[in-house]
Amino acid sequence: MVNQSVKARCNMFGVLKNIEYLVVNDKECANLVAGKKIAIQFNVKGGPSANLSFDNGKAEMKHGKHKSNISLFFKSPEHFNKMVDGEANPIPVKGFTKIGFLTGPFTQLADKLGFYLKPTKELLANKDYFKANTEMTAYAAFHALCEIANYDPAGMSQAKQLHDGDLLVAVTNGPSITISVKSGKLTAKKSSCSNPRAILSFSSLEVAHKILNNELDTFTAMGLGDMSMRGFIPMVEHIDPILGMVANYLA
Amino acid sequence: MEVYKNDKSIELFKRAVKVLPTGIPGHLGPVQSQFIPTSDFPFYADRVKDSHFWDIDGNEYIDYMCAYGPNVLGYNNDIVDQAALAQMKKGNCMALPGALQVDLAELLVDTIEIADWSFFMKNGGDATSFAVMVARAETSREKIIRVEGGYHGVAPWTQGRGNAGVATADVSNNIIVPWNDVEAVKRAVEANPGEIAAFISCPYDHRVFQDNVLPAEGYWQAIRKICDDNGIILIIDDVRCGFRLDLAGSAKYFGFKPDLACYCKALANGYNISAVVGREGLKGAASNVFFTGSYWSSAVPMAAAIACITEMRKINAPKIMIERGEKLTSGLVEIGKSYGIDMKISGVPSMFYMRIANEDSLFMQQEFCAECTKRGAFFVSHHNHFTNCSLTDADIKKTLEIADIAYSIVAKNNPDKLRK
Repeated sequence: MVNQSVKARCNMFGVLKNIEYLVVNDKECANLVAGKKIAIQFNVKGGPSANLSFDNGKAEMKHGKHKSNISLFFKSPEHFNKMVDGEANPIPVKGFTKIGFLTGPFTQLADKLGFYLKPTKELLANKDYFKANTEMTAYAAFHALCEIANYDPAGMSQAKQLHDGDLLVAVTNGPSITISVKSGKLTAKKSSCSNPRAILSFSSLEVAHKILNNELDTFTAMGLGDMSMRGFIPMVEHIDPILGMVANYLA
Repeated sequence: MEVYKNDKSIELFKRAVKVLPTGIPGHLGPVQSQFIPTSDFPFYADRVKDSHFWDIDGNEYIDYMCAYGPNVLGYNNDIVDQAALAQMKKGNCMALPGALQVDLAELLVDTIEIADWSFFMKNGGDATSFAVMVARAETSREKIIRVEGGYHGVAPWTQGRGNAGVATADVSNNIIVPWNDVEAVKRAVEANPGEIAAFISCPYDHRVFQDNVLPAEGYWQAIRKICDDNGIILIIDDVRCGFRLDLAGSAKYFGFKPDLACYCKALANGYNISAVVGREGLKGAASNVFFTGSYWSSAVPMAAAIACITEMRKINAPKIMIERGEKLTSGLVEIGKSYGIDMKISGVPSMFYMRIANEDSLFMQQEFCAECTKRGAFFVSHHNHFTNCSLTDADIKKTLEIADIAYSIVAKNNPDKLRK
């Protein structure tokens, strides 16, 4: 069952967070924010708060309330989720003089998110697009996973069985994500870690793409050696059912 | 020493994934079995005898998983197989149960301390589900107390909230308490007065991935008293431990008497049968629960069970398996020590759990098991292992030779983790 508040968190910290990736890896997006120093506060009634800031060509999405130039209010998690789906608009409550950034660069960044996260067969044939799509899908999925683990009742039930430590999710010769567990709470960061307690690895970006898009199941991939897990496996075992919930939340 | 290859296993697995979900469904699959890395482990067995199996690539292994427990006298034990074959010639699945059903029930009643009656089914999960239903039928209550990490099969009620295919309602009557925590059980009972039908647990904590933990002094006696004081049925899931600790029941080994006990793995040396036994007062409730299956009265597994139990009694099977386990594990610990590797053994020796304790993950453990397996000693890294009565001194000697090589490789690859 999809909880709208948890879905809002997944959209906020899974999908929108990918703007961090876009402004670094997509030239058009980099140009949109070049020289800009601005922060947007998102406040969802009955849902999450987050702050998306742009500075020196980089973006950062932070949990909670922080200093901002623009503040956007959403009446409910449903309202926010509809905004992400392009079916509703936010309510600006601060920063009317900066509204141009919202209607201009930010809207274009949001459009680019949709471009990369809603692939077509033709687009995926392009090597660069394929890489961006897979990496962004992975980042969205594993960041959303943390929100589900921390806020969805079934996810929390699994998460509380996790032992403390770092799970490294890595693509061979590719990107890594570290999921850290402490007292049943999960956080994710887009980097490797030096002392993981368990490692879940994909042999290639292609395998990761298939897994993330439900074109290949993890059991088959592991049996065939396309995926592997090592270390303290209960970390993987209890995260796997949560990962299974991600598709419902990001659908 | 030869390092095995598994080319035929891999080729067959490639065919399998096209027509079987996960390729090998269930706990024998390479992922569930923690074959890490998968390339170092066989996927398919070709034949078995005593403590050995041969995979489809022709590699021979000394098997310490014993088919996850059913191999108790030795694979293809002649006494058991001859009894099964003789019954097969007479009949197996028939319109009526064979007379052996009564013989087997009488034998279990005579063997297991608390048994006044027996009820037969096929798998351990059937037995635990039936036992819970009997408890509910007897008490007219719905909730059960389970122990964290306890494995009672794969029925939805035994699984976790959030697991694929499990509804919240399936697990809503479960109250989970930590192992060895009498106070937690007391609190659960006090918080749910008159609502708890059963306390179900394995005889000791033999969960996967962690050191196994025996009951604390007085634990079971305290649980028995709480159950008695509150009208709660005490169920022992002896599916895995059964007959490997004490033929009269693992409860007898730990000095208490449950109301119901579930058996499966070692019951018939690999023939498919499980059982619930219980005290006289619960026979009525067991009669009222409608629980059956197409093959539950099949006579061949019953013939095998009678032969198996009779033989286990004759040779004192638990004593043999415990002694074999002690010999093997003491050797593993000693050799490990010589390399600076702390191999920690836990649980009862006939179903020992081993873990390299130099680190809090299982990287070295997985490497050790893989290096042993690809040289012919079949170990997995997550689960307790099993000894069986056919395990010889020569088997143990060869296993320790293999372990020596495996330790040397693990030590070489992990110099910074070794103990001085």
